[in-house]
Amino acid sequence: MLDEPTRILIAAAICWLNFMTVDLIFKLPESGGVSGATAIAQEVEKGGGALNGGYMMGNIVSSPDASAGTLLASCGVFCAGFFGGLFAAVLVYVGNRICYDPGYAGTTGCITATFIVYGAMQVGFAASDFIAGMVIAILTIQGISYVHASRLVARLWSVRCRWLRGCR
Amino acid sequence: MPVAEGMPVIAIYVCAVIAVYAALRVILQRNTMRKLPFLNVMSFAVTGIIALLLPHPITIAAAAAYFVGSTLESNAIASTWAGGIKKDE
Repeated sequence: MLDEPTRILIAAAICWLNFMTVDLIFKLPESGGVSGATAIAQEVEKGGGALNGGYMMGNIVSSPDASAGTLLASCGVFCAGFFGGLFAAVLVYVGNRICYDPGYAGTTGCITATFIVYGAMQVGFAASDFIAGMVIAILTIQGISYVHASRLVARLWSVRCRWLRGCR
Repeated sequence: MPVAEGMPVIAIYVCAVIAVYAALRVILQRNTMRKLPFLNVMSFAVTGIIALLLPHPITIAAAAAYFVGSTLESNAIASTWAGGIKKDE
């Protein structure tokens, strides 16, 4: 049995991989979903960052994406078990539509995260580890350095475009 | 602070420290558009704290309502600064 700080760090890595994979598959770094997301991307590029990374940061700010889905799924599982996580997916779907986002990245990320968190609980993790872990994971993308984070996302985006077709 | 038995204390402190850090970055950042990602981190942390402090089924709705509301506000601020609907057309 691991102690709580170690579990939180492992959960942060799992959350990071979950939301980054789902967001890249759903093409968040391709373009801004609303005019505000595009404006944030242009501002990030003006400050020395990468445009595609800026689009993803803008889209995360403007609408609940897979990272928000992971957080709310963890909250749902923490408060009400497995079905709480699935109920959170419904709320994320409603939230997406409120924010004028036609995509399914948030809902998909929420459902995958519900299974991941519930599975991890069977091997000794707590759902609260994933709540703190997701906050750490979003800190690395949005909260430390927009220049380095946007370049990292742009590099991952180019890898995704090489492996899976369908990018502009 | 009174802490109930079995409460995830370290997780709550991690969220609280990150919320305060993000709030300070929002204050120190001059550019309005570059403030918004830090504000997003703060919303994540506060949503986490709400769920961790109040483990009750209805808390999911409260946390989701807070998070979607704050996201919608960021969306509105960013879109207004970008020039609103006119630029979309």
